[in-house]
Amino acid sequence: MYAPLVRPADRIIAGVCSGLAAHLGLSVKVIRISMVVLTLASGAGLLLYAWLWLLVPTADEAARAENAAFNPRNIAGNFARNFGGPRPAGIPAPPGPQPGTGAPPQRPADNPAATAAAAGPTGRTRTAELMQRGGWEIAVGAALVLAGGAFIAQLAGFNVPWETWLPMLAIVTGAVLAWMQLDNSRRNGIMDRAGATGAQGVVRLIAGLVFVVAGIFILISGSISWDVMWPTLLATLAVLAGVGLVLAPWVVKYWTDLEAERSGRIRETERAEIAAHLHDSVLQTLALIQNRAASEQDVTRLARAQERELREWLYRDKRREEGNLVDRIKAVAAEIEDAYGQPIDVVAVGDAPMTEQYEALIHATREAMQNAAKHAGGSISVYLEKTRGSTDVFVRDRGPGFELANVPADRLGVRESLIRRMQRHGGEARIRNTGNGTEVHLSLKHPEEGNHS
Amino acid sequence: MTDPIRIVVVDDHAIFRSGLKADLDSRIDVAAEAATVEEAIAVIHEVRPAVVLLDVHLPGGRGGGGAEVVAGCADLLATTRFLALSVSDSAEDVVTVIRAGARGYVTKTFSGAEISDAVVRVAGGDAAFSPRLAGFVLDAFGTAAVASVDDELDKLSARELEVMRLIARGYSYKEVAKELFISIKTVETHVSAVLRKLQLSSRHELTRWAVDRRIL
Repeated sequence: MYAPLVRPADRIIAGVCSGLAAHLGLSVKVIRISMVVLTLASGAGLLLYAWLWLLVPTADEAARAENAAFNPRNIAGNFARNFGGPRPAGIPAPPGPQPGTGAPPQRPADNPAATAAAAGPTGRTRTAELMQRGGWEIAVGAALVLAGGAFIAQLAGFNVPWETWLPMLAIVTGAVLAWMQLDNSRRNGIMDRAGATGAQGVVRLIAGLVFVVAGIFILISGSISWDVMWPTLLATLAVLAGVGLVLAPWVVKYWTDLEAERSGRIRETERAEIAAHLHDSVLQTLALIQNRAASEQDVTRLARAQERELREWLYRDKRREEGNLVDRIKAVAAEIEDAYGQPIDVVAVGDAPMTEQYEALIHATREAMQNAAKHAGGSISVYLEKTRGSTDVFVRDRGPGFELANVPADRLGVRESLIRRMQRHGGEARIRNTGNGTEVHLSLKHPEEGNHS
Repeated sequence: MTDPIRIVVVDDHAIFRSGLKADLDSRIDVAAEAATVEEAIAVIHEVRPAVVLLDVHLPGGRGGGGAEVVAGCADLLATTRFLALSVSDSAEDVVTVIRAGARGYVTKTFSGAEISDAVVRVAGGDAAFSPRLAGFVLDAFGTAAVASVDDELDKLSARELEVMRLIARGYSYKEVAKELFISIKTVETHVSAVLRKLQLSSRHELTRWAVDRRIL
């Protein structure tokens, strides 16, 4: 198997020879000598070199394309790609579309959408590559057409000032060489900073340049004759552009180093914050657990509380606003859990800002959780569902269960705190023995929100 | 009693692996273990287990964790089932690995018996839903969207909604069956249908829900 044809980072001109040598398994010297020999054969080697330079990606670019094609979060894409032909990890994929040789035969057949999706992303990156290459090809083509036109013009008897054009060509070549030393991301970085990405940006940039040139033009056209101005203007432009392009790599390098340092500092701050958090909470709890190792209940309670706290810190849904209904229910559950040592799992669907009605609902939920923790034991499930028009809370335990009719009339907990409280606030509470524990269902209606969805 | 179910345990914590092995009951035979993405893909291809108990966060590979293992074993999905296992219950982790092809999600706080039940269920081709996963489904698909046709991918049918709600409320499959006066097999069918919808749906709301949480 041949090594992939890429231009490596250590290079003399553009890395074409060493890339070709690695690909064909020959020594670099052989390739270089044959290039020179071919060049002597009326410039064929030069043409081949230029051609390969344009078409062969650098090693960096190839690696980046490979990495960009895989995104662990792009599940559908990866899934579909794997239907196209399984590939063990670690072996880089060929850049083109893969033949579906190893695929289970039924998959592509019964899942045409997946195969189509697989072609999608690769197709898109290929187009981007082609466009990028196309840009170079157009530039080179335009240069060749210009040169050809100039040559024909001279043949036709016009006077082409070769002594002006050849130095300019040399400057442009030098600038291109300097530019090629930058990799793609740095080039994009420069374009970004110049605001030259996207059609609007390019138009703005070109318009700005045209205005500057026109300004200079008007400025000097008064004092210098037209004959002298054109060559002077051109020479100035060429020198400026040349200097800019040659210096660009160093400026960019300096800038990247600065940015690397800054992001390093940000990471360091982040790490310090995590360390502080772990110290404040986790280490303290671990110390406490060691102290209380004799009491199983205390250890469980501490571990559970710490888990809850760490979970909240790590996985908190950043979009959710604090102090809303779900937050409050979770806080109450945490409180009961700490007080009684029974795990309470809260599952919430939907959320809403607090109102007076919700305060009552939270009080009732607390009462229900407390009853479950006190009398039933074992794990307690709480489910909150907020939809348009109603809010429902289910508190379920796995205890022996009880019948409301059997609760003595002087015991106010259930009747007063649950049922009447909910009724006063326009809701209701139902208590049900499921045969395997008790379930309290608290519901509120919000007719003003409309009862349809 | 039938042969024990052969499984592979993939988790980067050796202590957890040995603890889990001790907790699983006799219906389950741990054939092999793996600790990284590459190791897992190699071991699964070699052992061809019925079920893989898969941690969501794994070192190695390209940083894709459990979802990457499922993607790397996509050629085995017809014979090998994946059951995700994690300490994390964030929506991102759960939905990512389910959309990659896992047939269930259990958290590490589950007891050995509960995890064994989930393994048996997944080995039988059904889906293992925890209350939290059911909550995510209801959150993502909406609690009122009712499919007019049962196999419509973007909406849940009324029955599927009922089943999801009961599971979110902490009911076991058996309790759901009793509650709705249907057989456990029917409950499993509904849950599998919901799993399929969760994996394949490209419903606008689901996509937006996922994008909001940077899942897809």
